[in-house]
Amino acid sequence: MIRIYRQLLIAQIQAAAQYRIQAVLWMLFSIIRPVIFLAAWTAVSNAQGGSVGGYTTSDFAAYYIALTIVGQLTTAWNSFEFEFEVRQGRLSPKLLRPLHPLHYAVVENLIWKATTFLPLLVVCALVAVTFHVEWHGEWWHLVLFVPSILLAAALAFMIAWVIATATFWLQRINTINTLLQRTGFMFAGQIAPLALVPTWMQVISYSLPFAYFLAVPAEILRGGVTLERGLLYLVGQAVWLGLAVVAFRFAWRAGLREFSAVGA
Amino acid sequence: MDAPVVDVRALRKVYRVTERETGLAATLRSLVKRRHREVLAVDGITFHIDPGEVVGFLGPNGAGKTTTLKMLSGLLYPTGGEATVLGHVPWRREGDFLRGMTLLMGNRSQLVWDIPAADSFLVLKEIYAVPERQYKRTLDELTELLELQPLLHKPVRGLSLGERMKVEFAAGLLHSPGVAFLDEPTLGLDISMQGRIRRFVAEYNQRSGATILLTSHYMDDVVALCRRVIVIHHGVLLYDGALVDLAERMAPYKRITVTLRGTVGDLSTFGEVVASSDNTATIHVPRTQAGERAARMVRELGDRLADISVEDPAIEEVIDKVFTSERPLAEATA
Repeated sequence: MIRIYRQLLIAQIQAAAQYRIQAVLWMLFSIIRPVIFLAAWTAVSNAQGGSVGGYTTSDFAAYYIALTIVGQLTTAWNSFEFEFEVRQGRLSPKLLRPLHPLHYAVVENLIWKATTFLPLLVVCALVAVTFHVEWHGEWWHLVLFVPSILLAAALAFMIAWVIATATFWLQRINTINTLLQRTGFMFAGQIAPLALVPTWMQVISYSLPFAYFLAVPAEILRGGVTLERGLLYLVGQAVWLGLAVVAFRFAWRAGLREFSAVGA
Repeated sequence: MDAPVVDVRALRKVYRVTERETGLAATLRSLVKRRHREVLAVDGITFHIDPGEVVGFLGPNGAGKTTTLKMLSGLLYPTGGEATVLGHVPWRREGDFLRGMTLLMGNRSQLVWDIPAADSFLVLKEIYAVPERQYKRTLDELTELLELQPLLHKPVRGLSLGERMKVEFAAGLLHSPGVAFLDEPTLGLDISMQGRIRRFVAEYNQRSGATILLTSHYMDDVVALCRRVIVIHHGVLLYDGALVDLAERMAPYKRITVTLRGTVGDLSTFGEVVASSDNTATIHVPRTQAGERAARMVRELGDRLADISVEDPAIEEVIDKVFTSERPLAEATA
């Protein structure tokens, strides 16, 4: 499998090299939203004497920068890509090979992230300087962030694949994608850090998977959680990942029985 | 005797398709209630293919050929029936099965468009776990047979249709599959490229002993490659046997072509005149009476006759007759 991944990575780097400008532009567009929220919360914080619910202006900046980095490292677009592949008949050649189509997506995902990570860090550094960010974390926040971001990336990836399998039944899954994106927007900590939203919204947020691949690693990276809470979050991420993997395996097997191999 | 490589028993596939009438009202109604219809694509076909055979799989558009190939290559689950390919149930998609077969579709690409074919080949080499020496040998062979050398290092998107088809073939055969399902492999290619692909398939079969099931709308492909054909229509198997016997069984007539000195005149007493020009005529006569009719023509036309030939009808004509017939062949020739 290592040899397969090595060769897939080489091929994908060659393919991605031709779309590098496009990749960086996508990345730049993806950070507009957190920067807008950062600007809004900074204005609110400044108007209220420099703090909202215990979050200083610098804390907001640190949170949204962390959220931007986490968002980039956990992004997964497989549900959109998969629907396109099914409709265009491009899934069939992959299904004919003794390699699960998921592996191609892993490689594409990794290469995209690798391509765009450095430019993203530059932009984040500029935002950090502009908003006078200070990091108040401990060393173990950084240690905890490593498994947390890996679990978050895997969780976001697997959820995207679970959604993708709906294509086997529905052919078009734009509605589901949009619904999930909107739900994620509400409950993943994008509007505000989850500590600042009403209790009922916190309960929903921590009961759904979205926060576990966005707000949770972002708060850990910002240094905004206790060690106990951080470990608890890791357990939550692992549980959701386990559920997503089981759901995917089930949905994939059932979906293949429905697959009509249209267009191919 | 070797076990069949492809063994199909009462294979059946029913698609469930959504239906909607045109117009805004129908669109709105479909939001609330969707209408579905069942389409029978393959209706209980049974056949088997022995190792090393090259079999033509014929039928008009919508006959169920591609659906059958998709089931045999593991892309589709059947609605009923059984099949094994290389001893595996295809739709279980076991690794050994996938490594042992290929499905090449003339209108579909399996290569990455943005990179040269040679790089895609390296990916396939690892995916199929082809040993280094075998990979080099196979690639050299395919490069020679398909004249790939100038194409290997160009991005696939820059290749012409014919060139792309050649590298697609190589990609599909790099792992030396024991079974190749070829679905319209010469679709859209010019005559010279069609011929080259045909020669390649024949030579590949000779060299590797691979079993090949081929669909094509070009009868030249079938005539050049297949001694045996399977004909399906409306999902039902109409004929399974030698290509030469298909003409004999399906066309109950022979074609007599005569060239005369002077004008043709009325030849309808000899049979059905299907074409005539100034001095040449083509006449269909009952197969069993072809010899007697030809002899009568020689006798009665005498010195007016410059040339005469008795032939089976062209295979295209026979196939067209099968496809336009609603009756199963068994009934038609009973």
